[in-house]
Amino acid sequence: MTDDKLQLGHIPEDAREPSLVPAPIAALASLIIPGLGQALARSARRGLILFFSFITVVGLTMWRFGIAAPRDTGWWAIFKKGLYLDPFLIVVTILLFILYIWIAIDAYSLAKVRTKTPLGVFIALMVMFFALGWQIAQIDLVGFVSNADDALPALGRVGWPWSKAIDYELTEIRADAEIEIPCSDAPPPENTLSGDEPIIISTPTCGNLRDQDGTDNPGTELHLEGYNFSPGIEVDIMWEDPIGDEFRQRQGGEYVIVIPDENGYFEIDIEMPYALLPPSAREPTYIWEVFGHQIEEVGAAKLSHDFKLIVEKMIETIFMGMMATFFGILFALPVSFLAARNLMSISPLTLAIYYLVRFILNIIRSIEPIIWAVIFIIVVGLGPFAGVLALVLHSIAALGKLYSEAIESIDPGPIEAVQATGANWIQTVMYAVVPQIIPPFVSFTIYRWDINVRMSTIIGMVGGGGVGFLLIQYIRVLDYRSAGMCVWFIAITVAILDYVSAEIRARFV
Amino acid sequence: MLEVRHLSKTYADGTKALKDVSFSVPDGEFLVVIGLSGSGKSTMLRCINRLIDPTEGEILWDGVDLAQLKGEDLRKARRKIGMIFQHFNLVKRSSVLKNVLAGRLGYTPSWNSLIGRFSAEDKIKAFEAIKRLGIEDQIYKRASELSGGQQQRVGVARALMQDPEMILADEPVASLDPVLAHSIMQYLELLNQEDKITMVCSLHYLDLVQRYATRVIGLKDGVLVYEGSKADIRAMTDEQFKDIYGQDAERVGGGLEGDLGVKVGGAA
Ligand SMILES: Nc1ncnc2c1ncn2[C@@H]1O[C@H](COP(=O)(O)OP(=O)(O)O)[C@@H](O)[C@H]1O
Ligand SMILES: [Mg+2]
Repeated sequence: MTDDKLQLGHIPEDAREPSLVPAPIAALASLIIPGLGQALARSARRGLILFFSFITVVGLTMWRFGIAAPRDTGWWAIFKKGLYLDPFLIVVTILLFILYIWIAIDAYSLAKVRTKTPLGVFIALMVMFFALGWQIAQIDLVGFVSNADDALPALGRVGWPWSKAIDYELTEIRADAEIEIPCSDAPPPENTLSGDEPIIISTPTCGNLRDQDGTDNPGTELHLEGYNFSPGIEVDIMWEDPIGDEFRQRQGGEYVIVIPDENGYFEIDIEMPYALLPPSAREPTYIWEVFGHQIEEVGAAKLSHDFKLIVEKMIETIFMGMMATFFGILFALPVSFLAARNLMSISPLTLAIYYLVRFILNIIRSIEPIIWAVIFIIVVGLGPFAGVLALVLHSIAALGKLYSEAIESIDPGPIEAVQATGANWIQTVMYAVVPQIIPPFVSFTIYRWDINVRMSTIIGMVGGGGVGFLLIQYIRVLDYRSAGMCVWFIAITVAILDYVSAEIRARFV
Repeated sequence: MLEVRHLSKTYADGTKALKDVSFSVPDGEFLVVIGLSGSGKSTMLRCINRLIDPTEGEILWDGVDLAQLKGEDLRKARRKIGMIFQHFNLVKRSSVLKNVLAGRLGYTPSWNSLIGRFSAEDKIKAFEAIKRLGIEDQIYKRASELSGGQQQRVGVARALMQDPEMILADEPVASLDPVLAHSIMQYLELLNQEDKITMVCSLHYLDLVQRYATRVIGLKDGVLVYEGSKADIRAMTDEQFKDIYGQDAERVGGGLEGDLGVKVGGAA
């Protein structure tokens, strides 16, 4: 039996009649129309399958050529350009030719040896589809390997994102020195060290900016000394002009950053920058400030904003899954009775309801929750509610089907036995039906809860609330650490859920 | 006294499972129903306690026509008729105790049974029934954890809980091996003799029929073809037995009582 099936509906060997035509004619026929030779050898179904397969393969190949050479016209031009632009199409073309020949060979041997049915042609067909699939799915192993290097840093951040989970309170340390431009008779006095206040001392305290007119006169060289900064933490050297604009000092294109020693001291020489002159430049002299700027982390570590946000959204996700499961059960229970054949085959009307309910459930189930979420977002707007609605709908359909199958498979024996004791209807249901359906119902429900939480982690990606929304945002702004935390939280939650649901199921079932 | 008169049953699909069957069972009798698979034994037993509605005929039990009963009256009548099934028909996931207590549902108000409460007397009764059938060690196990013989004892205990005046047993030992079959049959005999419970039991081993029956009726294609007393069956030969069962009947060597063990091929 199974052998016959393997032969694709071919007549079993002992019952096969001789071919209508000699083998060479069959081969020729299959060269003219692939599959015709097989049909003439009294294997009509095989011929039909081969014919339609071949047409499909040719169609797909032509489509791929068209895509490879979109600007060319005339099939020969497209063919040549396609082969030139995408070497893989050469492979496809060769395979297509092999298949074409092989169909003819197949017809020949089928017509000649009536006792066995060669399978080689179907292997050729499969190889052909595989090659086309490779091309259509744009499988690019080389790219996969060669891009891996670039992706590693980002992947590392996703894999271990926890530096973003912690924040410190920040304080700003700033000390400035006044610089007069250009030098007058009485430049500002040098700052003097007093107590342990941070301070910057510049020598001299006046000078010229670098020229902007291309003459390339360098700016005055300033020697800066900083005291009482926070040791070991970067200090940005910056400027503030008379109207309060701040900008960073650049030297050779790089920002100037110094790191104070263990006493909080540093010294550095800088060249005064060039800058567009503000209106105050019309005055004969004016004062700029050069300052050191340091940001120090103080106080205890605390959880970062992102971390808290992700936790909040994760909780939202879990509760979305829970609510969806709850309402799913609520509606699936009555629906499942309508979808149980054994209960609904009482009359033609109930049977019609059964088919209708089944049909609707199948349709709802065949559309993914994420698509339902998009639909519900149109109705109720972005947010968890849309996600919950989508999951509820899908849960009703999935649970309704599973529940109804559980109802269909209950053993009628106990029902009969309990009825025979003189029990009434409700007692029969409680003692013979409920004990039978509770374990599968519990099992399916937990399974569904599991699915719903998983689903609600991704349903946010289309705007249906939950952690998925954050995840997709973080990925879009290339914040891989925060995205990584989302992924971690999802993975941890799902793992816990897996464990818990398996545990509960083991208890109940 | 059970009197079945002109009982017929035609299923919805047109199968005539019983055709004008009449017989009577005096109180305290151990009536055995024999017949090939498909001859209508199960249908007949289920007509008596109305798990199946007969198409025609009367089932008089102490003068009341069971065939006409409805609702509360039917349930009251069913309470007094225990039933034992070939496949035990236990709720597999429930404990032995709960299965046995289910036999008491006909006497329990709905609201009590909904929250699973049975009276203290009912529980004591259940313990006694379980003890009487020798399965007290299994009392809190799930029914599914028991062997076939033990499960059927639970089935008998459940029937006992009803304080039945009659027990219908539909091939109670057909799923058991011969030794277990005997032990179950002995319990039924005990209930018949000690508790004076009328037995209506379908069987297909001739040796069991000869050993336990006080009267026998035979069905063939829904028609009553044989009626015999204890003496008649004792004297019955394999050939007569085969007449009822058709030529499928075959001897299973090394039967339980001498070499009378005859098993009917395909009977189940
Ligand atoms: N629910 C049913 N619907 C239709 N025909 C049935 C049904 N139950 C039993 N039958 C038929 O009725 C006849 C008697 O069956 P049954 O009473 O089970 O015989 P037995 O118990 O002697 O094997 C058989 O032909 C069987 O196929
Ligand atoms: Mg039967």
